[in-house]
Amino acid sequence: MRLDELNKRVSVARRETEARGETFYPGPSRIHLAAFPPKERWDDWVELDSRAWPKRVERRYMLVPTTCFNCESACGLLAYVDRESLQVQKFEGNPEHPGSRGRNCAKGPATLNQITDPDRILYPLKRAGKRGAGEWVRVSWDEALDDIAARIRKAIVERRHNEIMYHVGRPGEDGFTERILAAWGVDGHNSHTNVCSSSSRAGYQYWMGLDRPSPDHANADVVFLISSHLEAGHYFNPHAQRVMEAKARGAKLIVFDTRLSNTATHADFWIAPYPGSEPAIVLSIANYLIENKLYNREFVRRWWNWEEYMAVERPETETTFENFERALKELYGGYTFEYAAQESGVEARVIEEIARVVSQAGTKFSSHNWRSASAGNSGGWQVTRTLFMLNALLGAIATEGGVFPNAWNKFVPKPIHTPPHPQTWNELTWPREYPLAMNELSFLLPHFLKEGRGRVDVYFTRVYNPVWTNPDGFSWVEALTDEKLFGCYVALTPTWNETAYFADYILPMGHGSERHDIHSYETHDAQWLGFRQPVLRAARERLGEKLDDTRAVNPGEVWEENEFWLELSWRIDADGTLGIRQYVESRERPGERLGVDEYYGYIFEHSVPGLPERAARENLTPLEFMRRYGAFEVRKKVGAIYEEVVPEEELEDTRADRFGRVYTRTAKPPTTNIVPIPTIDPDADGRRFVGVQDGAQVRRGFPTPSGRLEFYSRTLADWGWHEHSLPTYIKSHVHPDNLDEGQTVLISTFRLPVQIHTRSANAKWLDEIAHTNPLWIHTRHAARLGLQTGDLVRVETEIGYFVVKAWVTEGIRPGIVACSHHMGRWKLKDAAGQRQLMATVNLSHEGDEWGLQRERGVAPYASSDADTLRIWWTDVGVHQNLTFPVHPDPVSGMHCWHQAVRVRAADAADKYGDISVDTQKAHEVYQKWLSRTRPADAFSPDSTRRPYWLLRPLKPAREFYRLPDERELLSVE
Amino acid sequence: MPETESDQHGAQTPRWAKVIDQTLCIGCHACTTACKSENLVPLSVTRTYVKHVDVGEFPQARRAHQVTRCNQCADAPCVTACPTAAMYKRRDGIVDFAKSVCIGCKACMAACPYDAIFINPEDHSAEKCNFCAHRIDMGLEPACVVVCPVEAILVGDLADPDAKVTQIVNREPVNVRRPEKDTQPKLFYKGAHQATLDPLAARRPQGGLFMWSEQKTGAEAVVSGHPEYGNTSAAALLSYDVPHAIPWDWRVSLYTWTKGIAAGAYLVPLLLVVSGLLKIDGALWLWVAPVVSGAFLAATGGLLIWDLEHPERFYMIFTRPQWKSWLVKGAVIITAYALVLALHLLASALGNLTLHRALMFAGAPLAALTAIYTAYLFAQAKARDLWQNPLLPPHLLVQALLVGAAALAPVAFALEPVSLAPLLWILGATSLLHLLLVWGEVTLAHPTAHARLAVREMTRGRYVAYFWAGLGLTLLGAFAPLLGLAAVPLALTGLLLYEHAYVQAGQSVPLA
Repeated sequence: MRLDELNKRVSVARRETEARGETFYPGPSRIHLAAFPPKERWDDWVELDSRAWPKRVERRYMLVPTTCFNCESACGLLAYVDRESLQVQKFEGNPEHPGSRGRNCAKGPATLNQITDPDRILYPLKRAGKRGAGEWVRVSWDEALDDIAARIRKAIVERRHNEIMYHVGRPGEDGFTERILAAWGVDGHNSHTNVCSSSSRAGYQYWMGLDRPSPDHANADVVFLISSHLEAGHYFNPHAQRVMEAKARGAKLIVFDTRLSNTATHADFWIAPYPGSEPAIVLSIANYLIENKLYNREFVRRWWNWEEYMAVERPETETTFENFERALKELYGGYTFEYAAQESGVEARVIEEIARVVSQAGTKFSSHNWRSASAGNSGGWQVTRTLFMLNALLGAIATEGGVFPNAWNKFVPKPIHTPPHPQTWNELTWPREYPLAMNELSFLLPHFLKEGRGRVDVYFTRVYNPVWTNPDGFSWVEALTDEKLFGCYVALTPTWNETAYFADYILPMGHGSERHDIHSYETHDAQWLGFRQPVLRAARERLGEKLDDTRAVNPGEVWEENEFWLELSWRIDADGTLGIRQYVESRERPGERLGVDEYYGYIFEHSVPGLPERAARENLTPLEFMRRYGAFEVRKKVGAIYEEVVPEEELEDTRADRFGRVYTRTAKPPTTNIVPIPTIDPDADGRRFVGVQDGAQVRRGFPTPSGRLEFYSRTLADWGWHEHSLPTYIKSHVHPDNLDEGQTVLISTFRLPVQIHTRSANAKWLDEIAHTNPLWIHTRHAARLGLQTGDLVRVETEIGYFVVKAWVTEGIRPGIVACSHHMGRWKLKDAAGQRQLMATVNLSHEGDEWGLQRERGVAPYASSDADTLRIWWTDVGVHQNLTFPVHPDPVSGMHCWHQAVRVRAADAADKYGDISVDTQKAHEVYQKWLSRTRPADAFSPDSTRRPYWLLRPLKPAREFYRLPDERELLSVE
Repeated sequence: MPETESDQHGAQTPRWAKVIDQTLCIGCHACTTACKSENLVPLSVTRTYVKHVDVGEFPQARRAHQVTRCNQCADAPCVTACPTAAMYKRRDGIVDFAKSVCIGCKACMAACPYDAIFINPEDHSAEKCNFCAHRIDMGLEPACVVVCPVEAILVGDLADPDAKVTQIVNREPVNVRRPEKDTQPKLFYKGAHQATLDPLAARRPQGGLFMWSEQKTGAEAVVSGHPEYGNTSAAALLSYDVPHAIPWDWRVSLYTWTKGIAAGAYLVPLLLVVSGLLKIDGALWLWVAPVVSGAFLAATGGLLIWDLEHPERFYMIFTRPQWKSWLVKGAVIITAYALVLALHLLASALGNLTLHRALMFAGAPLAALTAIYTAYLFAQAKARDLWQNPLLPPHLLVQALLVGAAALAPVAFALEPVSLAPLLWILGATSLLHLLLVWGEVTLAHPTAHARLAVREMTRGRYVAYFWAGLGLTLLGAFAPLLGLAAVPLALTGLLLYEHAYVQAGQSVPLA
């Protein structure tokens, strides 16, 4: 064949594609070249082999969509499955995905590394020796399932429901596993959220009822980030593309970050505040808006719960808006630029300039904080709360270019079975000291167990590595190695991790392209549903095979969680006597276990509006459609739901209270979107809260107790935190007032653009780019300590120290140090592990004194991948989190990550990577922080454990919110 | 009728160009991994990567990113330098490569001013970004263009006025890397910082570290960034870069030395014969000169082949010569010279002095060219400013005479003692001349920052020991008339050490 003929035949350039009536996907260059092959050819796509080039060797692929599982953004991927070998050749973006729009960050293509990782775990393993001794035997799935199922069944039969716990890092799914736990009737959900985003969530929740923002960055005129969303976080790639779109349009970008991030680089205004001072600066901006009447008065009047505030807190003053405005001025008048400057170290004139920019944004003001300052500081939840106050002042809420409550931009479809709320309350995860905790007090678990608050009989971890990720990892090691505290530990993981070493079972689960999940995230003002699927299974089904078990296509005996949980539940209650089986039973074939095809088939058929019609247009079933395209946009431009007028038919026998809250007799209209929304209490006669009075009309309002934006949180006031019932500035635990002589602040949470926590060490392309975490220290600070880049530094925390190298930089506030948390992965000597990014260490302890010494870094090694012989880096960083004690925020329950540390040149005997920790001291720090709580026993206004309206994963039945009568009184400071 | 805009491009062959918009780039490295994935690029090498430079002083600081890769030069030095046309320019301007005919001589790597080419450790052939030519030919945008979260990488036909690339290149302030190299890059940067464009603008961090990675060190590694200071008045610290390597190792240093002996061991006696200081029918001229020259010429050839990543393909220099390549021209010169030496031996065997005299007319220029052509080969390494030296041809000739005289002196002592003195005088004189040329080289102002840094690495940096030991020994060689044969090993070793310092230092300057 002549070359130009071949060219013409394979070409998908615009003219040729359109001539054939196929889909042309335009790329960023906006020329005749396509960004992706036309979807009509995704079954059999002919591509020229890049390695054989310039010889034109044709290769044929099936293009199968799935979803990236490397971070929480859940960007679309398109797997190129070789039609001959039936293996994945590469991953590109999925142009049909509304969130990521065909684009990815470095971690998307690197999914390929993870599925071909020579060190991955391929078979179920069972502990052979002592726990943690590193001896394993391969077992069959049947053996593991039967053993674990029997244990769980026994616990349930013996009413030990609270001894079953599932601890998840990034779930990557919307509710599947929670429903499994609900089916078992256990309050066993434990998440990573309190080491991650709880404080961010709390601040948003107290304003709008919903705990996450959905900023419409693309349409904003001013983008205000207290985070590094151009390189990390929820939702890195989807948000970064939209932020930069706005910036290219001329929007101003304001970034607060104490260290120079890639995000700060693009900021029109980058300020690096003293850690924890962020709310002081933000409130000075709020004060500027208030003082100069630059806020959206009409919006504030209509939507803030100022009437409730005035009535409850200032009964002596007449409840008028003018009086409220006066009060507002008085409340925030102290937050001057000078005060902010004094707290933050940022010059007052710079803050003033930013305030002026903010004041000009109008309703096109998108702000965002996630983790960062809110995760670092005690009282960090006031970071998001004060930041969102700027939106609330400007009226930039659910506007074009403003911030939406996340639930409005999210679609969680109703599944085939919905088990009831569990009939139990687990104090190990929801202890009464933390009635307002956003999420489980997960990171305190070892301390709770040590105190004898309970035990865990069956403990699952999934995408979670608490020994490494959580603070105080040695306390985890102590608890995990104690079989009295953890009866059986099952690690569900695709790859080795530091916690899995202490497991009884290691059950290998698939990566992003080897498993099923659905998810929907608030990447912009729309609602979409993404589908993660085992691409080889989908590919083989396209070829006509029928598969009902993902293990058939995954490497070794790697499984996926969906099928695992269904099967495990089935085995727990094979005869159906426990009432569990019904929730994992097929409806199409009663008496048989539910399969994933039926599970997702049902959802796509019945719960996703518009999907069946869309699929029918292509002669596909909804499931086939999702297997083919991987995503579906349910709704574009959702808009301001709070402004929606409630239709007459929903307003039967309504009553309005004094603050304009409207209750109705009409039952809630059915919806198939079961996105979690706070449950607002009905009125005294049982009428349902439906909206708020706005003149003659009833509008939807916000899912808060007041139905409005809660400037004033009655909840906080009623549950013992009256002093924080308004957005204020709480001085952080690392505020200069709280530091000892010679202490400085360590920022330990910053992410690198190419790594993701504990999940990406198995991606060689990412490891090659980023593999260590020196301590960032400012030039002058370093000079004072006599340090140069590469010198060893000893960083002393409250409970121990670590030894790390210095990185001397202008990219950090002088006096503050920072160390990225991605690095410092380790494996024990002679134990299996990930060899591309894990140092080999010697773990030692004597009583409470724990030590970790690095024996060697990484080195080239022979494996199924020739590339492992080309590993050229040796350094993999230092595991700093081990040396951090727990710092639970008394309100949000969030671990406050910033550390008060002493930094000095290392001793002569110190070696790189040395870690030393005293777990007794760690326990003392835990007790100190625990004593700051205001427990439900003493402060609950209604004898319940927690305000019922607050969001909570796996909410127990309402009656279990009541505190037990015979109160076990705990010491309160 | 006025010419319409579309008439200008019509159906003509496109002229592909790329724009990298650093005002949008967020430094995420997606292009790096998408490229690794699309082109299955092994660890330790990259077709494209993102360099970071931290610019400024707190609180006025930023991180400048630069997507760094092949520039698709309109006048591509790699194409000119490639002996087998394995690197070639397509009609549409893409500089592509054919691995099956790459002999692995690394001339392209030595030539590329951007350090954009590498030897793939899997197939041992040269490789670089080729605009994903296989995708372009399928009607697809390159992998990096498609993956980029912020659409910062664009591809387009400069002949198409509607292409975003054309609009940006023609209407917005854009830069290219190292325009002084006269290569006409077709990769344009919008908003790139001088601290990233100029490989020497940013300071190299000490301590073997970048902000989240190690610096790869080792004999053949070149760590980016200026080792002493930044070539900018703004504070600029290189905060991330990938490993880079020197293309030509000690074998090439040694080759310059053996080749010098091969040329000089013939040229020096020839000059002596012509000037009547050596008998034309003596053993030295009849046998020793061609044998020593031939032996070192064979060693030279052996080293050259050994240095190839594909030694089994060395014949391709002759079967598919790319005549602009000085590797090809040099191979022809060496071959012709070898032929002369063979005929010389034949003439000696036949006792045919007439033939000898005739052969001198071919042998003299060929021996001189054998010595000199390396200057052109090195000059073709457009990246290496140290080697762009107009005095290099005479200097190489001097060096050849120096080592030629030295190599013959012991034999002369044994066979024709009368010729020893002139040889020692030549050795002494050329040693002095060599020192003079080196002195000029290192003390004159350097035309570029690159050349200055190369000289610094040679005289005070990585190669300081080789350089000064080499010069010291050569200085002793200058006293050959006094020291006699004792000067010979000193002079030979001295030059070898110097050659190594010079060849390696020339390549030790970061280019990317």
